[in-house]
Amino acid sequence: MDALSGKPRRVLTGCDGHQLQGVVATATSWLVAHAPEVDALNVYPVPDGDTGSNMSQTMRAALDCALESRETDVGQFAARLAHGALMGARGNSGVILSQLLRGFARSIEAKRTISPLDLAQALADASAMAYRAVMKPVEGTVLTVARVAAERALEAAVERPEFSHVLSSAVSAGRRALAETRNQLPALRQAGVVDAGGQGYLFILEGALRHLQGKTEADYSTKAEPSGATRAAAAMHAQFEHAEGGFGYCTEFLIVGASLSEHEAREHLAKLGDSLLVVGNDELLRVHIHTEDPGRAMAFATSIGRLRQVKVQDMQEQHEEFVAEVLPPELKLVAPQPVNAGDALPIGVVAVAIGDGFAAMCESLGATVVPGGQTMNPSTQQILAAIDSCTQDTVIVLPNNGNVLSTAEQAAALSRKTVHVLPCQTMPQGIAALLAIRYDEELDDILTTMRAASDRVRTIEITTAVRDAELDGLQVRSGDVLGLVDGELKCAGSDVGSVVTELLEAMPADDYEIVTMYTGADTSDEQAQSLQKLLTLRYPRLTVEQHQGDQPHYQFILSIE
Amino acid sequence: MNDGAIELDKRPGRIEVSPAAISTAASRVILECYGVVGIADRKLKHGKAELLDDRRYHRGIVVSIQGESVVVDVYIIVEYGTRISEVANNVINNVREALQRMLGAASVRVKVNVQGLRISG
Repeated sequence: MDALSGKPRRVLTGCDGHQLQGVVATATSWLVAHAPEVDALNVYPVPDGDTGSNMSQTMRAALDCALESRETDVGQFAARLAHGALMGARGNSGVILSQLLRGFARSIEAKRTISPLDLAQALADASAMAYRAVMKPVEGTVLTVARVAAERALEAAVERPEFSHVLSSAVSAGRRALAETRNQLPALRQAGVVDAGGQGYLFILEGALRHLQGKTEADYSTKAEPSGATRAAAAMHAQFEHAEGGFGYCTEFLIVGASLSEHEAREHLAKLGDSLLVVGNDELLRVHIHTEDPGRAMAFATSIGRLRQVKVQDMQEQHEEFVAEVLPPELKLVAPQPVNAGDALPIGVVAVAIGDGFAAMCESLGATVVPGGQTMNPSTQQILAAIDSCTQDTVIVLPNNGNVLSTAEQAAALSRKTVHVLPCQTMPQGIAALLAIRYDEELDDILTTMRAASDRVRTIEITTAVRDAELDGLQVRSGDVLGLVDGELKCAGSDVGSVVTELLEAMPADDYEIVTMYTGADTSDEQAQSLQKLLTLRYPRLTVEQHQGDQPHYQFILSIE
Repeated sequence: MNDGAIELDKRPGRIEVSPAAISTAASRVILECYGVVGIADRKLKHGKAELLDDRRYHRGIVVSIQGESVVVDVYIIVEYGTRISEVANNVINNVREALQRMLGAASVRVKVNVQGLRISG
């Protein structure tokens, strides 16, 4: 390889650790930028997939780990990538990706530089390693895409040993294999999508190719829209650029005061830096900001309240710490909040909540909130941290989502405290359970009461289909309004009103008394008012209440009790 | 109700699903979970995990009824170098989902025991 790279050729024929770093960085950004698209490739037409986010976070963890050591040997650099991916793997797709990286790293272990043929071989070894870790490999997934891309890469490397030729051949073969996944798995065919993991892997290869072609991440900076699912990716992207720039101070503090305004603080602080995060209530705000001038941020804080727990880190120096927080900012809020309305109570409650509105509601009911839910599956560690941050020895956990249940149970098992997980599947169930707590009773009675309260609640969720699909006999077209009852898709229609009424009729609504509407983050006032009007007119016997849930993806979540 | 079978319906007429059937269904799902390289005997043999072939999966997938729930204890061998917590979580989610779909609304709890790791290449 050294011999190759030493030849005076115009085309790039050798790649060292430093060059690989550039390639992987661009590939990661490309994946991160497209994460929302990958998330949308959910077999279910409900926009709550997380493959893109999971793969992005895994790649980010890999890259951060590799950047930390700045290895110049390509083999060493790849080994750090693989290690980072292993430690940071999230979700099934993340585990597969980490295994691909492990195979890749293993293949070029001892090398200082690699040739195009080495690269192709490494892609092939990556695929082989990925296949080894599953007893019954399912074709039509990321495994297939990785294998087909690698096979073509090997052929290409023999034809013409140039990196760009190898990668562009791999990308086009991968793209064809990806399109084919639709025909390989019935679930994908029915939903009319390609495999999400395969698409994610293809974005990584494409990103790598773009780097060779001189197209860097600047190309897509305008792409990120600040809506719903893109927000997390955009935030990660912001962090990424920052890590690359490597300047400024990561500044964190709490502001304690009276009638603090989260909104005002955010507006003011936004001028001082980026990666800004302001969360809390009117008595306590937690602030996180990357700024060149921490002094000004703190001066502002002291002007509106008392400053607590100040932490300022030089981001260059503290890169390691920063790595530990690769998570999108929403996930960072788990840090134990020292002042908590629930502290004086005999039992602690941890609630996983999606949307600022729901989070605020849970907090006001005394719960320690772990942000998460539909797309941002919180990790075991986050829930565990929240459990440990409760001052009480007995803690009840409300997962508030079917997907979070097992994570919550795992956290419960890991904690030294007495932890009970109440298996509530939706936000309204969790709220009902929180409202039902009677702290003066025995623990068993409290749990029984909470469980009964949460079981009484029916939940309707309203969202928009992100593409055409046929599901359980329901024909769904992109843009259709979808109605779910207790997590199951029941009805699709053209407008919110008719879907909600159809579901209420089937319930039937006459058996219930109160409907609470929780509006989503992107729901307009008009939409909310017209639904409220419709419900009051149509069901005069029902009491209709309206709250802000601020949940992403779901225009409305209705609680019927 | 015969020896520990799972009763699904209290209305007139009755469905019973044997633990063996549930165990078979679970095994198919488990083996497609990424990172799982085999189902292991729940008892270690000379301190080592023993891989089971398909006729003996029931020794590594133990189905029982606890209260209202179907509890599935799963004993697996995982590929060395994967993040075990994520692999195990994936097994839990996939098995739960598949069994709940199969058994109707029954409550399913899955416990994953990683009996060993396989180091390949």
